[in-house]
Amino acid sequence: MQVSSPQDYLPIIIQFALALGFVVLSMIASHAIGPKRKAKIKDEQWECGIESVGDARAPISIKYFLVAILFVLFDVEVIFMYPWAVNFRYLGWIGFVEMVIFMGFLLTGYFYIIKKGVLNWE
Amino acid sequence: MQIPEVMRTVPLEYYLFFSTALFVIGVLGVLTRRNALVIFMSVELMLNAVNLLLASFSSYRQDSVGQVFVFFIMAVAAAEVTVGLAIIVMIYRNTKSIDVQLLNRLKG
Amino acid sequence: MLAISALSVFGIIVLFLGFSNNKSALMLAAMLSLLATFGLALYEWQHPEITPAVAAGMMSFDNLSILFTAVLLVTGILLLPLSERFLVDPKAQPAEYYAILLFSMVGAIMMVTFDNLIMLFLGLEILSISLYVLTGSDKRNLLANEAALKYFLMGAFATGVLLYGVAMLYGAAGSFSLSDIALYVQDNHDNLSPMLYIGLFMMLVGMLFKLSVAPFHWWTADVYTGAPNFFTAYMSTIVKTAGFAALYKILSVSFVGVYDYWFLMLAICAVLTLCIGNLTATAQQSFKRMMAYSGVSHAGYMLIAVASFSDKTPEAIFFYSLAYSIATITAFAALMRVADTKGSADFAAFYGLAKTNPFLSFALTVSMLSLAGIPLTAGFMGKLFVFMSALEQGHVALVVAAVLMSAVGVYYYLRVVIAMYMREGNGVAVTLSPRFRVVLIATTVLTILLGVVPSLVAGAL
Repeated sequence: MQVSSPQDYLPIIIQFALALGFVVLSMIASHAIGPKRKAKIKDEQWECGIESVGDARAPISIKYFLVAILFVLFDVEVIFMYPWAVNFRYLGWIGFVEMVIFMGFLLTGYFYIIKKGVLNWE
Repeated sequence: MQIPEVMRTVPLEYYLFFSTALFVIGVLGVLTRRNALVIFMSVELMLNAVNLLLASFSSYRQDSVGQVFVFFIMAVAAAEVTVGLAIIVMIYRNTKSIDVQLLNRLKG
Repeated sequence: MLAISALSVFGIIVLFLGFSNNKSALMLAAMLSLLATFGLALYEWQHPEITPAVAAGMMSFDNLSILFTAVLLVTGILLLPLSERFLVDPKAQPAEYYAILLFSMVGAIMMVTFDNLIMLFLGLEILSISLYVLTGSDKRNLLANEAALKYFLMGAFATGVLLYGVAMLYGAAGSFSLSDIALYVQDNHDNLSPMLYIGLFMMLVGMLFKLSVAPFHWWTADVYTGAPNFFTAYMSTIVKTAGFAALYKILSVSFVGVYDYWFLMLAICAVLTLCIGNLTATAQQSFKRMMAYSGVSHAGYMLIAVASFSDKTPEAIFFYSLAYSIATITAFAALMRVADTKGSADFAAFYGLAKTNPFLSFALTVSMLSLAGIPLTAGFMGKLFVFMSALEQGHVALVVAAVLMSAVGVYYYLRVVIAMYMREGNGVAVTLSPRFRVVLIATTVLTILLGVVPSLVAGAL
């Protein structure tokens, strides 16, 4: 294995400095060169379009939250399918039965959610 | 090149220091922040530091059990996120705030 | 293995029974589940050969772990009837509570039967996550909300620390299996990787956090006070039994070779826990909060048993956790009735209880004497076993500290007894339902029986 020495990182540092320099420079330049107009209408979030009402932190229905949370739960369980899929042939029928049991447990959870009416939008 | 080999092109100590640094950032976040959500994010950072550590040990030792553990940590972390966010939402609905400093009704 | 599989399925069945609107069937179903699981555990005790090979390398079902499983299940069985308020409370969701209770019991049993750090982690998390939910189950109660958030944040943080330790151990030993780690410690005794020490340290910190051992105990009082009474009783008993069994298992299987390293840490924590738990408990005005600190102090005694690490240690932890659990159930049963009737968990609520309900006062007195460690109660024998196991290894200083602190304990436990027998109450009667009466009779009889003839269970090992 090739061991890298500190000098090898020099190009990365140069690249990093250049990127940072460009950002700083362009921000200063746009601030210095650009025109400045201050007015009530200019300071609005949106200069044209429908006038904004209230702030962005309006309460959102709990339904969205529930669905998002359930998605996280069921989505992550898929990671257990990957090792099984990769070793499908090696694990054979025992692996299949174990996976069916696992999916069965997940499905009972899903049935519970449906019966509780969590996914009902009306 | 296989992924474990790619991982091995960086010396093990680097992974060790990097994940320890991530872990310490997480710990500091938990200890110093006041917003329950940010504390929670710091905890997740700690867990991910551990995941990285496990994955790098696993590829260096050519032993897949470490990666299996990572899967379990991810699954459990998802369950923890679910319960944690539910608790935070419950508190927000009752108090309209998730600042942990305001939660001082239990004293003694 | 049978017990765990069956209990998981029972949990799902109870969850779905909740759709049938027959609430009293729920408690019966949960009770039958626990009893059936208890039967399966006993069956496994008598037929060790049936443990299937599937569990090989992940879990082990030796007699000690089955005994701890039995303690957990007995605690659950005795506690369950006390939850009858959920059946009439319109805001409660008993099906979910009981299902989560059964699932958390699965986690607790995994914590006493694991043979691999992966299983320890899974068991601990199943137990903890269930308890976060149960702590916050009273959704509109701000105190319960706060307790749930604190418990959750502290618990998740402790999990992170524990996992970092486990990862470090894996880096040092190359395996999560307890016996492989033991082999590594044995083979490289003169040349152990620093990662092993860091890993062991972090893992112990994570475990001690969850077990509310000082200096990691500060969340305990708040969480125990804020949680609904029934779930406080549940977590203060189940978590301690499962956690100390797990702690002892890790240390006794994997880390015998580095005893000097962890003994010092545990001994310091034990003395700190005893002092802080007992001294803070004396200053409390609320009975519930006093019980929380009493729980902290009992963690200290059990930690002494673990730290002394003699032949008698498993017996001491087993007996102590049983005695502590039974006495705590009585105390919380009394607290639940008094708090429900008078709306307060302060000592003042117990004034004059002996006049209105002599039986409840007697049961609570026996439980307090047991927790204080007065002879002829189970608590005394438990302390005796702990001290004997420490003395066998010559840790006299630890025992002296523990005896001094139990003298402090007598003071605050007897405060309740004085409140009940020597103060005038406001005459509001505290009544007991048949379920409470049966549980209280069972726990009181057990406390005295185990105190008089400890050989009933102590010889089981």
